[in-house]
Amino acid sequence: MNHKLRINKLYTLSSENRKFSFPLPLKNKIRIGKRDYVVQLKADDKYGTYILWKNRKYPVEIVRSRQNKYEILFNDISYTFTVETPFSLQRMKVLNTGKGKIEKESLKAPMPGKIIDVLVREGSNVLRGEPLMILEAMKMQNEIQSPVNGQIIRVHAKPNSNVMKDDMLIEIKVI
Amino acid sequence: MGGVKRESRFMKINKILIANRGEIAIRIMKTARLMKISTVAVKTAVEPNAMYLSFADEIFDNTEEVSEIPIFLDIDKLISIARNTGANAVHPGYGFLAENAYFAQKCLDNKIIYIGPSPDAIYKMGNKTIARKLALKNGIPMAMGSDGNISNEEEAVEIAEKIGYPVIIKAASGGGGRGMRIVRKSDEMEKMFIIASKEAEKAFNDPSVFIEKYIENPKHIEFQILGDTKGNIIHLGERECSIQRKHQKLLEESPSCALDNGLRKTMGKIAVQIAKAVNYYSAGTVEFLLDSEKNFYFMEMNTRIQVEHPVTEIVTGIDLIEQQIRIANGEELKIKQEDVKLKGWAIECRINAEDVQAGFAPDPGKIENLSMPSDNYVRVDTGIQSGSSIVSSYDSMIAKLIVSGKDRKEAIKNCKMALDKVWIKGTKTTLPFFRLLVRNQKFHDGTFTTAFIDELDKYYFNSEYEEMLAAWLATKLFVEENLQEKSINIDFENSGDMSPWLLNKRINQF
Repeated sequence: MNHKLRINKLYTLSSENRKFSFPLPLKNKIRIGKRDYVVQLKADDKYGTYILWKNRKYPVEIVRSRQNKYEILFNDISYTFTVETPFSLQRMKVLNTGKGKIEKESLKAPMPGKIIDVLVREGSNVLRGEPLMILEAMKMQNEIQSPVNGQIIRVHAKPNSNVMKDDMLIEIKVI
Repeated sequence: MGGVKRESRFMKINKILIANRGEIAIRIMKTARLMKISTVAVKTAVEPNAMYLSFADEIFDNTEEVSEIPIFLDIDKLISIARNTGANAVHPGYGFLAENAYFAQKCLDNKIIYIGPSPDAIYKMGNKTIARKLALKNGIPMAMGSDGNISNEEEAVEIAEKIGYPVIIKAASGGGGRGMRIVRKSDEMEKMFIIASKEAEKAFNDPSVFIEKYIENPKHIEFQILGDTKGNIIHLGERECSIQRKHQKLLEESPSCALDNGLRKTMGKIAVQIAKAVNYYSAGTVEFLLDSEKNFYFMEMNTRIQVEHPVTEIVTGIDLIEQQIRIANGEELKIKQEDVKLKGWAIECRINAEDVQAGFAPDPGKIENLSMPSDNYVRVDTGIQSGSSIVSSYDSMIAKLIVSGKDRKEAIKNCKMALDKVWIKGTKTTLPFFRLLVRNQKFHDGTFTTAFIDELDKYYFNSEYEEMLAAWLATKLFVEENLQEKSINIDFENSGDMSPWLLNKRINQF
């Protein structure tokens, strides 16, 4: 970002590509229609951190923040945003035109548990949403589904083996 | 809950070992206390500071024990704890050993009163093939299916052709939605049969499976049964549990808007008949599937107290745990069928530590902050308080939010208000799902079936402007982290205070 230039606006983009813009300096107010509503970020011992908006408290948490990317839990729903300045947004648009797509998906265990079954083999072609493994955790069988159309490169977990959270389960080449 | 009479003079049970944890342990201990019966809880290394421990009169410390099997599944150990602490009765709660005939038998062999049905009833109803045969013999309506277990793929195909696709393959020893496969075409049958059988072997140490006609989009209706050791059996009306994911219930209500008095009477009578077939005593549940033409089919009987028992307690005013204890004591059931009146409406939401945006995947972790509504139309059964952890060794339940109203409409309205008052921080929860559900037209109409969750494309309720507020928050963080250089003219005096997190983050990196 260019610090010499005056930034008068920020664009905040949701993962579903909705764009919100906020003028700088950032106010504790959000304009809806013709009225400004006060929004406050607060914290106390009873509620922890929360946002106060129109007399209602909403629980909030930062799940992750990395560079300009923020994963926020707001009222139990998680959102991912990237915050861009007018310059970086412009640059992003330029970069995106020549952007290559992701080539490989690595699936990690979402929670600790036991692999009950592996439903695919190395070399198998899979469709998005197709079940790849059954992970039993917390009294439930959870299907690990393919996030993409692709081909299985490697299977790291064996049936009946225990896995920890974030253990590598499977690698898929995106087709 | 109804009035507990304090007449402990005739009680045989004087001390109960609670072979369970969490909210159900607390639920049992609360009633035991009203009945002036003392309780023993087991302290484990996994949850040494659990809330349920503070409700027990006595704690057996098992934190030193290092074992592969959790204590609540260790039959010999539990028997020895009962003997060492002088507990003359055991309550298994739900899950763990609650439907283990061998455990019930072991208790009896050791002269410990098992607060539940006979080992014989547990065994017969636990084995789905035997239960099916018993139901057939008693003329209970059932989905068409195989007479017993299926021994090979050819037989499976043959039977499926006879009853017509789709069919469902079920594990004979299964339950809780595990070991089930739906088959829609004959060319899938062979593969599915092998998978189901393998799955059953792994999960229940028993590869036996059987086949039933698969009922498309049914409603899940179950009847609460109470029986004593003198042969009296009654039902306490129904619960509807059609809101499920992965065959596990999320929301239950009593009564069900799908039943009228006539159908309630018919199904109730049949539920009692099934229970009679195994000389059932204690509390139990007979589960049915109800199709769109109001045909109903016996599915299975659960031989334990169920998670969703509170909705029945609210509409009947009967304390089911008290009844279980009295029946285990050999007392005769004082409630007659004609005394049972369903009054008002009750809805239970299971608030679990699950990520609804990731297909209800469990999201264990520490509950940093928890606050539940305390209005008079709300009952909360929980074993979790601020600072408790949802550990991956056990289920993901945080709390059961049980809401009542004079009718369904009022119960839903109250539920909506109660859900907005629940405050949980630390893990993701099923709350967004419920907040969406109570605003859904199909839920209001009562026309939903067990396929309901799959029909919703998004599982979360996002009220107007919530996403914008979240975006504002992300922007605020970005400003604080990146745009603080003096060279940029940002008026921090007017931009409000620094966020509490940023202060936190300075001390404690994310």
